[in-house]
Amino acid sequence: MSAPLMQVRLRADYGGRCVLKDVRFDLCAGEALGMVGTSGAGKTTLVMALLGLLPWRGGNASGEVLIDGINLLTMPAREARRIRGKRIALVPQSPMTALNAAVSLRSHFDEAWRAHESTGRKALDARLHQLMHDVQLPTNDDSFLRRKPGQISVGQAQRVLIAMALLHRPSILVADEPTSALDLVTQAEIIGLLRQLNRRNGTALLYISHDLVSVLQLCDRLAVLDCGAIAECSQVAQIEQARHPATLSLLHALPLPVRVLLDHFSPHLNGSEQAQLPEQVVPLHS
Amino acid sequence: MKNRFSAAVLVLMIASAALALRLAPYNYASQDRDAAMAPSTARHVTGTDELGRDRTVRVAAALLIGLAGAAAAAAITTTIAAGIGVLAAFSPPWATAILMFVSDAFLSLPWLFLLMMARSLLPLTASPLETAVATFLVLAAFGWPACARAVYRGATALRSAEWMIQGHACGLQPRQLIRLHLVPHLRPLLLPQFLICVPVFIVAEANLGALGLGVGEPMPSWGAMLLELDNSALLARSHWVFLPIVLLVVVLLILESFTAEVENHA
Repeated sequence: MSAPLMQVRLRADYGGRCVLKDVRFDLCAGEALGMVGTSGAGKTTLVMALLGLLPWRGGNASGEVLIDGINLLTMPAREARRIRGKRIALVPQSPMTALNAAVSLRSHFDEAWRAHESTGRKALDARLHQLMHDVQLPTNDDSFLRRKPGQISVGQAQRVLIAMALLHRPSILVADEPTSALDLVTQAEIIGLLRQLNRRNGTALLYISHDLVSVLQLCDRLAVLDCGAIAECSQVAQIEQARHPATLSLLHALPLPVRVLLDHFSPHLNGSEQAQLPEQVVPLHS
Repeated sequence: MKNRFSAAVLVLMIASAALALRLAPYNYASQDRDAAMAPSTARHVTGTDELGRDRTVRVAAALLIGLAGAAAAAAITTTIAAGIGVLAAFSPPWATAILMFVSDAFLSLPWLFLLMMARSLLPLTASPLETAVATFLVLAAFGWPACARAVYRGATALRSAEWMIQGHACGLQPRQLIRLHLVPHLRPLLLPQFLICVPVFIVAEANLGALGLGVGEPMPSWGAMLLELDNSALLARSHWVFLPIVLLVVVLLILESFTAEVENHA
């Protein structure tokens, strides 16, 4: 694996209440790293801190988030804005509230485009056409993009947000429980989509979830977040050798023995290029 | 429906006032010395005041000046309030504290006294137009704090909204966040504030005018015209002397109905 794309050493607190004590991990180019933790382990805090957005939530982050060797947390606000959305992008937890209900999807894309690009509408239209196709949203005309967030389904909203995150071809995609608001079928489709992005485009993925099954399905490596620190970090294929109580309790909570699941998802673990939806989705659509 | 009717009446009033000013052979300052305090006559349909000035023309001018001045002052006040409120919501805590203290301080000032003081600081030689502009500017300057508080509260809620955070995550610049995320959500808050301010300022100008501190003579204003009502000689001669106050009440009713409508929709 190549040199780390992002190196993280983080502490975070909300007005004295420490949530992340010492979180250290690296993310390599093209890899998919799963970050698992129970509710309240500090997952969302970690996401906000990573992007330097914790102050907007009333929190404080210190330490470093090195991207290309530059610390995102200490750089001037203007420079940090140039990195967010361009080099590192976020797919949020609740798609409906992450879109502004008062304006159209098109306006969301317009502004996100202008934040990093000075080229005009034509370039955006070409990019949008490609993106909408990639995330399996209607591309035939402009009518879908003219809608407001209230007029689309949650699954579509999550696809819109993934498309928005991919707009500037970031090298790092942070997905904060992107499936937690979705039904099982849509969950599987979104996971398939993220896997495709990671495998085909080589976008490094930091996938944060409480759902170990989806992590086994999607990721190369897995880190367990417990009590504000990384308890254990291992290759997904070697997860059975995990020792830490937090990891073990996650494994015990699985509906099937982890070996069965790993074997089931094995085509992916063997490293074959699998750019399609998970098998279990197909019958539901035919 | 009701709103449309109110709007139609208001437009009709403004149009007929403009028409009256255009068609009448007098302007608001011209005095017909032979017909002072006249009742309704062929020359002066709604009579004249004690200086023989045509009441129709003066009421029409007062209506237009009052509405235009109050609307302009309300626009200024709402803009200041929006600026201060948004600035306070997005500033570091110490700056927020200062801004909110200033607006609280403004709220707790004896504003009527200050209005009188500010207005009386104008030199006596000030032209009527200057006094009109000054009066409405002073009203605008004292009107913003209550509104700024409301905007601040609204903007604070928007500040931590998920879509705002998502906007930051997309690397949007502050002006983009304002355009995309703030303005569409503050509009339903600012429009009622603006609509509330218009009648308040009309009444405030009328009150100041009745104290002799409003728009200067010979320019007509609601306040100056209401002053006539304490002239018992004039009251005895013609009922038309009540025309300004009747129109004022009608205009205020219409403006209040707009506010109610907007608030119901918000």
